[in-house]
This record gives sequence, C-alpha cells and structure tokens, in this order.
Amino acid sequence: MEVPATTAPAATEPAIRTQELSKRYGQLQALIDLSIEVRQGEIFGFLGPNGAGKSTLIRTLLGFLHATSGRASVLGLDTELQSVEIRARTGYLPGGVALYGSLTGADVLEYLAELQGGPPVLREELCDRLRLSGADLRRRVRDYSRGMRQKVGVIQALQHDPQLAILDEPTEGLDPLIQHAFYAILDGRRAAGRTIFFSSHVLPEVERVCDRVGIIRAGRLMTLQTVDELLVRRRRRVELRWRGAAPDLTDIPGLGDVVALGDRVTATLLGSVGPFVRAIASPNLEDLTIEPASLEEAFLEYYTDADSSPGGRGA
Amino acid sequence: MNRVLLVRTWRAQLGKVVLIAVVSSAWGWLMPFFYSQFSGTLRELAKQNPLFGQLSNFGSGSILTLPGTITLGTQHPFAITLVAVFAVGVAGLAIAGERQAGTLEVLLARPIPRRTLFITIWGALLALVALVIAALVVGMVIGVVTQGLLAELDLGQMPFVWLNGLLLWSAFLSFSLAMSATFDRTGPAIGLSLAFLLLNYFLEILGSLWTDAAWTQEYSLFHHFQPSEILSGKADPFDFVLLVVVIAIPLAFALLLFPRRDLAAPA
Repeated sequence: MEVPATTAPAATEPAIRTQELSKRYGQLQALIDLSIEVRQGEIFGFLGPNGAGKSTLIRTLLGFLHATSGRASVLGLDTELQSVEIRARTGYLPGGVALYGSLTGADVLEYLAELQGGPPVLREELCDRLRLSGADLRRRVRDYSRGMRQKVGVIQALQHDPQLAILDEPTEGLDPLIQHAFYAILDGRRAAGRTIFFSSHVLPEVERVCDRVGIIRAGRLMTLQTVDELLVRRRRRVELRWRGAAPDLTDIPGLGDVVALGDRVTATLLGSVGPFVRAIASPNLEDLTIEPASLEEAFLEYYTDADSSPGGRGA
Repeated sequence: MNRVLLVRTWRAQLGKVVLIAVVSSAWGWLMPFFYSQFSGTLRELAKQNPLFGQLSNFGSGSILTLPGTITLGTQHPFAITLVAVFAVGVAGLAIAGERQAGTLEVLLARPIPRRTLFITIWGALLALVALVIAALVVGMVIGVVTQGLLAELDLGQMPFVWLNGLLLWSAFLSFSLAMSATFDRTGPAIGLSLAFLLLNYFLEILGSLWTDAAWTQEYSLFHHFQPSEILSGKADPFDFVLLVVVIAIPLAFALLLFPRRDLAAPA
C-alpha cells in the first residue's frame, strides 16, 4: 500500500464528516440525512440501541456499504472513492469480532499486520496492558474465551497506531479490570493525537472516556454534544426535607414533577444545580439529596420522548 | 495480487494439496497400468459384444485405446472429485465462507481492494488446480513409461492435455468463486457451484452412453476437454478458445459485482 499510515490530514480537517448521509435497504431506511463531524484527537461515542443504525454508519465509513445519498469522508478522504486509503489509516474492531480459529493469536496478529502494511508498533505494549501473555498468543484462537478473542480484536485494530480507530462495542466480553486498562489505552491514544470513534451500549463507559457523543435513533441523529452538555440538560431526581411543612417550590425554574408529602418534597431538576440551590436556600432546609447526573438518564430521555425533534441540539 | 493473502491461502491449503497431488499421481499412473494389463481382453470382449463396445465409451474416453484410457482417467468421477476439491469446493467456500464466519470484515478492514482480494484468491486456487492436474498428468506419463507404452503415445502432447484440463477446471473455478463472491452464505454459493459442475458432467455422460442424446455433449464443458484428440494430434483450437471465454464471463461478472456489493453486518 502506497499510503503511509502516518500521513496526517490537515489539522482543521475533521476525522469523520458525513453530510446528509442516507442508507436504504429495500423498504428499510437505516440512515436518514445523518450529518456529523468527529474532530481529530477526540474520543467520540456513538450511542443507540440495536438496529438504530450505528453499524450501518461504521460500515459506510469503511466502504463496506455504499450510501444511498449524501456524502461521507474519513480523514479528508471520500468513503466511496478512497476507501482503500481510508482503511490504510484506520483500525477497525467489528462488533463480535470473528478471527481465524485455526491460527494462533500471534499468527492472527502477524497476518493482519502484514496485510495492513505498517509495522505493529503498539502490539507489545497493547499485549502487556491487556494482559495477553506470550503463552496465550501461542494458543489457537479457537481455544480462546470470548474475552481473549476480544483482546486480540482490540490489538489488531490498534497495533499499527492508526490515525483513527473505529471500535464497535470494544469492551464486550472484557472483565472490569481489563476494561479499565482499555480505557487507559484510549486515553493514551487521545494524548498521542489519535481519534477514536466507538459505538457502545455501555453508557457509564461512554461517560467515562468520551469527549463528545452522538445519539442515533431509527437512523436519525438525535443529538451531538459533549458529555458535559448532555449531563447538564438531563433531569436529575432531587429530594428535600424541611423543618416543618415544605414550602411551595413549583415556581422554581427547571423544577418539575414536584410532589410534596408533609416535610418531604421530591421533584426532577432540569439544568445546572446552582440556581436551584440558591432558590431553595433557607434555614428550614434540613436535608437535600441530588442524584448525580448520568448519561443513562440523558440517553433514555431521547428514547422515551417520542416528540424529540431530530437533527441535533447543539454541537 | 496481494502477496500476503496469496501465501496465506496456499499455506492454509498445504496439507490438502499435498495429499490430493499424491493421490492424483497414483490415479494417473493407474490408467496406463490398467490399459496394459486388460486392454487386450477388453478389445476381444468388444469384438464379440457390440453393446460392450458401446459401454466401453465413458464421456469422451474409451478403455480400448491408450489415449482413450487417459481421457477416461481424467473424466472418471474419482478424478473429477480430486480436482473439484479446489476448483469447486474451496473456491465456493472461499469468500462466502469468510463472509459467513465474519472474518471477511477483518480482512477487508485492511487496505485491500475487493478486486485484488478476488483476483488473489482466484490466482492462488488456480495454481493449486494447475498443480493437481499436473500431478495427474505426471502420474500418467510415469505409468506410460513404466508400462512400456511409449510407442502408443506422443508424450509431447501431454502439456497440451494439461493445458486443456487446466482451462476446463479454471472455468469451474471462476464460476464457483464468482458464486462465492455473490452470496453471503456458503449454502447457495457451494450449491450452485456443484449444480453447475454436475449439470455439465451429466450432459457429457448422458450423450456418451446414449447415442440419441449425443447432442447434449455439445452443451457440456467436459466435451471441450479432449485428451484423446490432443494425443492423436487432432486438437481443436475452438475447445481452448471456448473455455477461455467461459472462464472470462464469471470473472468479469464477479470483478464488476463484488466491489459494488453492500456487505452488511453478518447475521
């Protein structure tokens, strides 16, 4: 392959850009006018349940699928016309990765590295961090557990230090200890200026590692925001206990679903907590509990709110 | 061609190809041996019983002459099975099998154009088929020499027999690999590949055993593999040209279709 894996696109060029990308399978519209930009050097989480269109987008970016309409580019290269060059600069971990069972782990990694064309500069480090020993690598892949196969899958995707790694459900089958090692690897890749695009169902992990997230529903992008922005706009459950009867809190901005029972009030709070705390400040307030914001709640909002307007609510 | 993929494909088939090449050589050697031991008796039987003479023809071969026996050896179901292991079996499973197993995704995530992948696998399997047919032909030559039958055969024509056989089996290889690149599952790919082989074989054998149905042979690719005509210096160049055309059609189809196919996530 003539395209060197280390050639970087212009710094201003997004790592991934799609413009009104649509994909139709017969009657099924898998992607609908999807427009996203993933910046270079960020970890981008792509969220959505099964069938939402996550894998369709990933496969379109890698040239496995051809878009029905719209355009997509990866590292400044057109996915329809330059997919080979794109694959020279990316690493890909498919969901539920399948490997050659008759080969040893070491042979699989060597074979895929040779096909990639670049030296596997990160292999040793990745094996160490994911605790894949030499003895493990000498065993045939068909004898591996699911977690070990996933480790080899992660290593084959990252061993050549790609500019962009596209990882589909990367922690599937990994134990919690290895998951944390994997998060540290992602942090390291980001620090080295590499871009990570990964899809996941595991919301705490997305919250832990991602800079920005895109949420997709039935082929449409529901939102594309930083994790912090998403958390700020989620509803948190709050509980207050007063000395004596609880005051009327219905006028406090952002507070909803207020239920008063004697000295206790439960409600949901939308937005940041500062203005709310200032509004309820009183010597009669005995106790206040605010649940920590979680991405899960924000995610569920997009999936339970049937009236959510598509197209992104900020970037 | 991708060198890494080529070597890997060969390496994966190494044990199989060695075994089949050895068996093919032994089978090839058996034909002249069989002819030298039994042809006299069989000729007498054919003289006494015309029906036996008719049944001594199988496909384009005949057990009553050395070139005919060699032809028969190449068209016998056992020889067909040996060569079909690679030309139909491995070819039919090559791409559809990787697709079904999910490994095609990992492979195509590398910077390999789909056309290069297809051509590389086709080239790798073509070499294996060429080797198996060469082993068969070499076995026959050894048999002819060891049985002292050199006077009955022009050995200089044997490379053309090999080439004619290679073209025939390349046609089946191209068709099978094209099917493999067309379907996501191995069932339809291998099923259609086998059906194409068996249909061609059926048409050839039917015409050879039943004179009223002799016209069916014209529609069989096996009828354009004529070792006996080549060995008697009457080779028809049309047979070679036709086989080249039949090789090219599925190749062109696959090279056009495979890069344009949507490869959705494996079920």
